[in-house]
Amino acid sequence: MQLDTKKLATATKPKNVASALTAASLALLGSAAKAEGDFWDFSKDWKFNTGGLYYGEQDRVTAVEGVFNATREASYNDKFSFKLVLDSLTGASPNGAVAQTDIQTFTRPSGRGQFDVAAGEIPLDDTFRDTRVQMNAQWTTPRGEDKLVNYGLHFSKEYDYLSVALNGGMSWDFYNKNSTLSAGLSIAMDQFEPEGRIPYAFAAMVIDEGQFANQDAYNQAFDATRRIDSDDKDTTDLLLGWTQIINRRTVMQFNYSYSDVSGYLTDPFKVVSVVDAQGVAQEHLYESRPDNRTKHSFFWQTKYHMDNSIADLSVRYMTDDWEIDSVTLEYKHHFLWENNSYLEPQFRWYQQSAADFYTPYLIEGQVMPEFASADSRLGEFSAITLGLKYGWRTQGGSDMALRLSLYQQTAEDVLSSHPGDLASLDIYPELTAVFLQYTYDF
Amino acid sequence: MKNNAEISLDKTDYGFVGHFKAMASPCECLIESDEQKLALQLTQIAANEGWRIEKKFSRYLKGNPCDQINQSNGQPVAIDSETFQLLSFADACYQLSDGLFDITSGVLRRAWQFKPGAKFPDKEFIDSLLPLIGWKKVTFDENSVCLPPSMEIDFGGIGKEYAVDKAAQLVAEKAPEVSVVVNFGGDLRVTCPPKNKPRWQIGVDGKSGTTERAVSLSVGAVCTSGDTERFIMHEGKRYSHILNPKTGWPAKNAPKTVTVLADQCLQAGLLSTLAILNEENAESFLQEQGVQYHCYY
Repeated sequence: MQLDTKKLATATKPKNVASALTAASLALLGSAAKAEGDFWDFSKDWKFNTGGLYYGEQDRVTAVEGVFNATREASYNDKFSFKLVLDSLTGASPNGAVAQTDIQTFTRPSGRGQFDVAAGEIPLDDTFRDTRVQMNAQWTTPRGEDKLVNYGLHFSKEYDYLSVALNGGMSWDFYNKNSTLSAGLSIAMDQFEPEGRIPYAFAAMVIDEGQFANQDAYNQAFDATRRIDSDDKDTTDLLLGWTQIINRRTVMQFNYSYSDVSGYLTDPFKVVSVVDAQGVAQEHLYESRPDNRTKHSFFWQTKYHMDNSIADLSVRYMTDDWEIDSVTLEYKHHFLWENNSYLEPQFRWYQQSAADFYTPYLIEGQVMPEFASADSRLGEFSAITLGLKYGWRTQGGSDMALRLSLYQQTAEDVLSSHPGDLASLDIYPELTAVFLQYTYDF
Repeated sequence: MKNNAEISLDKTDYGFVGHFKAMASPCECLIESDEQKLALQLTQIAANEGWRIEKKFSRYLKGNPCDQINQSNGQPVAIDSETFQLLSFADACYQLSDGLFDITSGVLRRAWQFKPGAKFPDKEFIDSLLPLIGWKKVTFDENSVCLPPSMEIDFGGIGKEYAVDKAAQLVAEKAPEVSVVVNFGGDLRVTCPPKNKPRWQIGVDGKSGTTERAVSLSVGAVCTSGDTERFIMHEGKRYSHILNPKTGWPAKNAPKTVTVLADQCLQAGLLSTLAILNEENAESFLQEQGVQYHCYY
């Protein structure tokens, strides 16, 4: 008897019964069956989400972004999602040069044309304009009893920039799904071919102040500062995460991420001014950054569900080998109201130290450093974000949300004293920005 | 009918839960909607479908198509298209499982009883029942079925799963945008993904409120075979109440229960039953099917 049943058991093993059963049960349930049916039938089971974002910096960059998201649950736990993002950026951004007591003239990054900056003003390059298309495809699928795997593809194109990335990850559930361990890997390749080509590191900006005999002489001088090739960078990101349900009300998450970027990491549109002992700019050198950056990031988040609201506190600590250390502290409180609406105030505080090669300017006659950048994003600063989000459900059952945030960034002086006129000038840009975001799920 | 044709409704944090009894099981509809009238309608639709299928295909009820076939004594019996389709599905299951799933195996219940203190049957009795089992001896077409004398058919292995799928289908037609879990005693189907949370968390043993053995899913079906209470111990071995129609003996050394997630309940139910009949190979069988499952030992 024992032998017989064993033999029978093994006899049924090699067949894939599951797929044949799908056909048989669909036949029984009829074609009208809203069976989640054919896995590869991409004509059904979609959910959509769209959104718009307005980002405006005071007197600087304005960005408008549109997002379209489509998610298809092919079956339980099997999910395909596609995302399309369109960004448009216009406006002015600091080009790295230092403010002066006199009017200043700069050459545009393309080499064609100039712009002037008033005395006492932080130089802004107003030719900042870009449109970006981003596409993401992601597939999440179960493996075995308690695992989910995901694969993804990312593509991003700007006028002078192309980025392609691949990612993969896995998550494991433990202890009746009270714990989840996740791991992910992403590899990205970016190619960069800027308007006006890539300048050589520390090449001085060629500015036409009447010293050139003709246009050809200027062009020749400008071209001498430019490389003829494009450049690229490779990024590898690793993520390890642990999510723990502490009790019925509390969920905690820990993430560690490691990121390694190598290749061309310099901003080809940014310069560093060289000033004399009186603080007067003598020339502006195109900046130069190391060709590798390694970051470690640690993240902790706790969400606590109260009866009608959720408290959400998170802390992130990031450190990299450019000596930038940053801390982000964020608190959001999600108030749930009747009729599926909610209000979510947000407070975020951010602080970072400066990169070791960051300097607001270089001083003539001093030893040239190996790397230098005056990009204020690499400087020492703190920032506060205050926001409010309101979400509601329409009569038709769609979810909408509106978020308004204000961002204020304050720079810290990394130098103890400044030569000449620079001591009396505001050389660090302040930044105030507003975000307005709208999302619609249908 | 022994079931009360009654339904009840309770308010919950996600919407409403409707309760009723069908197929000797507590049944519920978890409804993600705050509209009480709609919740009541959807529960009524699911209950009516459950009761309809029970009335038509239960082998315990006199005069229904199942009873007519079992009382036919070798004569052809006229059948309607739904009965034909259900028999066709049973036929497909028999073929796919190489005979491990057989709706004529119900006669084995004369020998096996899985309740505390039940007597362990002797081999001669079981062997004497084996000639009465064998789906291939049954002939049927769109209009009629012919069952040899003394044989019986029993839709018990697929009836409840069929009822869940049909009920979920009707609920989804009435309210395509509302996520509803149609749960007949632990065999369940989610009509569409919930809106206010990523997925439903549901106890697999049919008792609501138990999270110890829970599955989470956004859409699709979950079925559990086996039972932690219905089994028989003999000479130190645990015999499941799921019987192998080829041998007449219960599956042994199988997981106590097997829970399978699939698109439809019919599929999940059959795979979980076949997993138990694969005994100690239950998990490798399920792995080959590429479905998500949980085995409890």
